[in-house]
Amino acid sequence: MKVPRFSRKTLCIPYAVFLVFFVIVPMLVILVYAFTDRNMHFSFGNFVKFFSDPTKLSTIAYSIVIALITTVVCLLIAYPIAYILARSKMKKKYVVLMLFVLPMWINFVLRVNAIRELFNWIGLLGEANYFNTVFGMVYDFLPFMILPLYTTLMKIDNSLYEASADLGGNAFTAFTRITLPLSVPGIVSGVTMVFLPSMTNYVVSDMLGNSMVTIIGKFIYEYFGSDWHMGSMVALVLLIVVFVSTFLTGGFKSEENVRGANL
Amino acid sequence: MKKRVLSVLIAGAMLLPTLALLGGCGGKQADVVLKVYSWAEYIDEGGEGSYLYDLLAEEGEEPSEEDAPPILDDFENWYEETYGESVRVDYATFGTNEDMYNEIVLGNEYDLLCPSDYMIMKLAAEDRIEPYDPSFFDESDPNNYYVRNVSPFIADTFENGTVTVTREEETETHSWSEYAAGYMWGTTGFVYNPGHVERADLEELGWQTFTSGRYTNKITAKDNVRDTYFAALGLTYEEELLALAENKDEAYNQKLTDIFNRTAEEYTDAVGDSLLSMKANIYGFETDTGKADMVSGKIWLNYAWSGDAVYALDEAEGDGLLLEYFVPGSGSNLWFDGWVLTKGVEERGTKKAAQAFVNYMSMPESAKRNSYYIGYTSVIAGEEMLDYAKYLYEDEEAEDAAEYDLSYFFGEDVADPVIVAGEDQRTRRQLFAQFPPEEVMERCAVMNYFDADTSERINELWSHVKAESLDAWAIAVLCVSAAAIVAFVLFVKFGNKIDFFRRKPKKGYSLVRQEQMK
Repeated sequence: MKVPRFSRKTLCIPYAVFLVFFVIVPMLVILVYAFTDRNMHFSFGNFVKFFSDPTKLSTIAYSIVIALITTVVCLLIAYPIAYILARSKMKKKYVVLMLFVLPMWINFVLRVNAIRELFNWIGLLGEANYFNTVFGMVYDFLPFMILPLYTTLMKIDNSLYEASADLGGNAFTAFTRITLPLSVPGIVSGVTMVFLPSMTNYVVSDMLGNSMVTIIGKFIYEYFGSDWHMGSMVALVLLIVVFVSTFLTGGFKSEENVRGANL
Repeated sequence: MKKRVLSVLIAGAMLLPTLALLGGCGGKQADVVLKVYSWAEYIDEGGEGSYLYDLLAEEGEEPSEEDAPPILDDFENWYEETYGESVRVDYATFGTNEDMYNEIVLGNEYDLLCPSDYMIMKLAAEDRIEPYDPSFFDESDPNNYYVRNVSPFIADTFENGTVTVTREEETETHSWSEYAAGYMWGTTGFVYNPGHVERADLEELGWQTFTSGRYTNKITAKDNVRDTYFAALGLTYEEELLALAENKDEAYNQKLTDIFNRTAEEYTDAVGDSLLSMKANIYGFETDTGKADMVSGKIWLNYAWSGDAVYALDEAEGDGLLLEYFVPGSGSNLWFDGWVLTKGVEERGTKKAAQAFVNYMSMPESAKRNSYYIGYTSVIAGEEMLDYAKYLYEDEEAEDAAEYDLSYFFGEDVADPVIVAGEDQRTRRQLFAQFPPEEVMERCAVMNYFDADTSERINELWSHVKAESLDAWAIAVLCVSAAAIVAFVLFVKFGNKIDFFRRKPKKGYSLVRQEQMK
């Protein structure tokens, strides 16, 4: 009889169990629900309905646009900060970095509520729902952009800049030929972590947009109150959008030098 | 070897929490475990702000938390004393009727639920709940607090309301009262800030308040399809409703109820237009921010349930702001939440405890405690509840004090079902919101549940209203640009793998493949 051998692989069992029960099975359930009707008969009805309904397609488009703007704004804010923090010889730069990470330690709902009051005080609440939504998303996801950028920028070898200077490169060339190409993995992981959740974070659009802005996450939530099958179909379409965008940004390649990406 | 032992140990340790979860939670040993599933913050939880606590404080004593226990503890003690059996209540809460429905459909076993009117009908129609025992309605049993104390108005409503139950392909018609015992009830209307909104204006506008343009961006609607659809029905058919009210006859309430249940396809276009013009005029859709936004002054008008209205009025009063409540003259919504027994409650042996729970909640003392704690109106009437209403609202000193007749609710058995109060309380403040007069209830309608097809159609309509719809050309442009982006990225990634796109080597050079270089 073979004695069961234990190895370090045994440690993977809890994770494998978790994976099967909380990732794979739910996905299969969504798949089944998406392609069945009320009586659990196989049907393409939801699929056809989804792609023939301008509202749903528009909502997907709106969500993508909102997420895109959020991502671009986050990148524009985060890149200079991460660059300065990573390249400068500032003594207390950890303090500055901490200041950006610190809000993440406060409950998310509380923060959104605080912004809501702030916007009300400025007079924007209820006046500029889309702007408020994007602002809230940027505020919420900014740390997720800064951290991976910071870690990749930190890693760039200083001798590369020296070499660039030796070869007569100016600061601009050094940036376009060294910094930018080498920080691409950080940009990619930052973009992934901002773009995808901001398509579905309907708490922000509900609180700051007074529920007047509908993004795809809200749709899924509402459909699961009344029609699981359509809700699953919307979730599945979102999954495909996510899959495609992850594929295009190369998110499936393992990125060893992007620490902090798993935050 | 040592390493392996260690890894097994760690793996075991990681699994432990899972096992603990599977083992279920411990807790007090009891003969019966009663699983109750109700709304969050919908029951007396004791402590500060509870009826018993405030009563002691009013008498000049300094109450402690023990003087005002949660009502569930008191029920457990009472049950053991009365029936000689110990009971433990597992009390779980939900946020929306739909959440609760999903849980039930998924097969979670609860004994007692507290859904709203339409959800009771839906659960009954789908044969998911069980009728009460005939013994529950026996008025001679002193422990049957529900039948002995329920308001005749609610009892009539429950008696007259019918639902068609489908069981094994056969349909039977039953009245709501067989399946449900009431808990809280009320109306829907507008909480408004009289500093900015004229009462006369509201009376003139009715449901048109939403779209008149006078309160653009200062009024909220509910972020749930049923309540806002109801308001849109009022908005769409207001003239017809007012004409009905002009020539009231026997069937007035029935005709009004029919209008407020117009969910057939022929009506949805008109209602959809109303919903869109509502959306163009409101500040936002809300589920629970409305109360706070009224108090902070962000909005002037909040479409609300009467219970929330009472709560908002109380809160604002604490901040020195007097808010008021208004029910549109053309008609509004009568809603209620009630206790229902789930299927299989008999087999699980919890039916007796479940019915006892309902009876305990229907004791005047409990009704006062719950109602005081949450601000909603209990379905329980009787002498003691009238005294409680008087304790809250009677004010003979008020300048314009007059009698406020509540005989329709408290019934004829109660001596003098009349509260003397000032004009503001009688027409627009907490008394009016919590105990609406009969003339308001005449024009209030219960909205039935939507069957599966209707529900699907109205949800589609709702999503069209909530989300922005782009024109077909805009969608086409977006699709084409998305495809272009995908194609571009693919080209950048894989373009050089295709011979056609690969850069040609300069003359005189030959291409060296990477593999060859290795």
